[in-house]
Amino acid sequence: MLARDVFSSLTFRYITKYVVVLSLTVFFILGAFYAYFSYTSFRDLGNAVMDELRTLQAIHEREALAGVERYIHQQTSAASMHRYYYLVTDAAGVKVAGDLPPAPSYSELDDGWLGFEMALQDWGGAVQVDFIARPIALDAQYQAIVARSYADIVERARLVIANLIRAMLATILLGIAGGYLSAASALRRVETINQDIARIIRGDPSQRLNVEDEKGYVRGLALVVNQMLEQMESLMQGVRRVSDNIAHDLRTPLTRMRNDLTLLRDAHAGGPAADQIERIIDDCDDLLTSFNASLRISALESGSRPLANQRVDLNRLLQDVVELYEPLAQERQITLSLIFAAQCACRGESDLLFQLFANLLDNAIKYTPEQGSISVAMDLDTPGLCTITVQDSGPGIPAHERKNVFRRFYRVESSRGEYPGHGLGLSLVEAIARFHGGSVELHNPGQEGEQGGLLVRVSVPAL
Amino acid sequence: MHILLVEDDTQVGQFIADELLAAGHQCDYYGDGAAGLEAALSAPFDVIVVDRMLPQLDGLMLIERLRAGGDHTPALVLSALGEVDDRVRGLQSGADDYLVKPFAMAELLARLDVLHRRAAMAHAEAVTVLVVEDLSMHLLQQRVERQGREVSLQPREYKLLEYLMRHAGQVVTRAMLLEHVWGYHFDPQTNVIDVHVSRLRQKIDREFDRPLLATVRGAGYRLGDAAPQ
Repeated sequence: MLARDVFSSLTFRYITKYVVVLSLTVFFILGAFYAYFSYTSFRDLGNAVMDELRTLQAIHEREALAGVERYIHQQTSAASMHRYYYLVTDAAGVKVAGDLPPAPSYSELDDGWLGFEMALQDWGGAVQVDFIARPIALDAQYQAIVARSYADIVERARLVIANLIRAMLATILLGIAGGYLSAASALRRVETINQDIARIIRGDPSQRLNVEDEKGYVRGLALVVNQMLEQMESLMQGVRRVSDNIAHDLRTPLTRMRNDLTLLRDAHAGGPAADQIERIIDDCDDLLTSFNASLRISALESGSRPLANQRVDLNRLLQDVVELYEPLAQERQITLSLIFAAQCACRGESDLLFQLFANLLDNAIKYTPEQGSISVAMDLDTPGLCTITVQDSGPGIPAHERKNVFRRFYRVESSRGEYPGHGLGLSLVEAIARFHGGSVELHNPGQEGEQGGLLVRVSVPAL
Repeated sequence: MHILLVEDDTQVGQFIADELLAAGHQCDYYGDGAAGLEAALSAPFDVIVVDRMLPQLDGLMLIERLRAGGDHTPALVLSALGEVDDRVRGLQSGADDYLVKPFAMAELLARLDVLHRRAAMAHAEAVTVLVVEDLSMHLLQQRVERQGREVSLQPREYKLLEYLMRHAGQVVTRAMLLEHVWGYHFDPQTNVIDVHVSRLRQKIDREFDRPLLATVRGAGYRLGDAAPQ
């Protein structure tokens, strides 16, 4: 399983989007809450400054400037950054009391508020701190200013925002990682199902998906796929059964017809109709042969019959087949050679195996031009596997047709009409090979388009 | 030939019976195994033809019972099941030949002929020389002569000729030749047997006036004149 597959999976993309949207939403909601909270703290600060001004005013009214000076002195002795700072000036703007420098560069804020920056001594050294301030006239001569730093509020807001962003990023990253893991596990299950289905398509349609290990919707999916396979299989069997029944039911009347025709031919012996009747009989034989072959293939493929426990000496069998076909090859001046690289025997039925190689030689002789060559060889190169090859010098089979030629009644387009046959020979070859636990492969050893001939490789388990 | 036919499918049975009669044989036809066995025990027949699947008594059982009672009338089993296993089981039960449905009537007639002839010959002493007209085969020396001239044959040609000579005057089908001369039961897609026969024909007939090996259309081959029924 590739990481790319996980990243492009629906589950992963879905979870990622969900986590990002959720985190952003939570961030904005919390941000809005905090903005409101900060605004209220700021307003409270303003009110506190106003209260302090009113206190100064009250003291001035009661005890005049001396009382104000004493009060300020008392307040400014506390060693806190977050205390009030004061400035009292006379009409000429000269500082009378307080701890603010006489004229810090105030900037006018709205609503009578002033803002300025001032360096304060912190533990680490001097820091620039933001202040808000508000002036008030104590009487006609004196004016007082009360200032308060709001750095703590800003600092707190900055801290909260930074933590919110960190939390959001962590949520997104962890969410994506979680999404990756769950997408990967979902993908793994889907992939298992894919592989199972691919195996079923390639080979045995009677296999089913494993439902036991699955849970939830995957289990539901597997159950539905199994039901579908069930139906497909029964349909396939139905089609096969119907065609087998047709072949089976047609055989009897066809045989009767053939028998009647032989009587008719004998009655017309030497007459003008005799040749025509003979041709009809040949056609009947053709049909019967193909019906029988088709039924034999079905019987072999159905697996209803166990493989007989005969020991078949393949060297002897191949010698017999080649000997049987030698005269036919010689008639067309085809060189037929047999090469044994090993002694080999297998478990099976000699009649069926003979049929297999007879079909291959029939084909080879049919498609090899005159004066061509056919070679049959056997080796044991792969341990436990008898490999028999039949190679001719005919036109071969185009690559795109090689899979199809094993299908029943399929014939390569170019050979239709030119060569006789029903398109069952290779189907029977494959059915027999599989019945013996073996396989058949086709190759064109020559270059594409060249007359390299066809190489048929049959492998059966050795005894 | 007096033939006992036991077949449960009346259509097929009646057809075979008619054909046997048409071919000049006498035929008793029964529809189930029990009746067939009773008939076989009560009268002598030349050949018995039984279907494999029969009501009441299976075809193979019928033959086994007959053999158990010391009756060696040659028997041929007809069957719709056509694979090797069934052939072997059929032959093990004591049947002499096995034919898969559907079959050409000519095939059945040829096989019945051979069975009948073989049963008749079993009583004669072992032969060392086979003779068909002016062709003779010395089995011990493995020599073949025609009109006193030696004919040299390949081993397989020799076996082919031996089979034909042992069944001289009878029709021998291609399937019978494959089974008995080559020892394999299979369906050739081409005329592969014909090529072998025509080679043999070259050797035994070409230099002589009278051809001995005839092709019987739609059936097979026959060596020598047709034998009287």
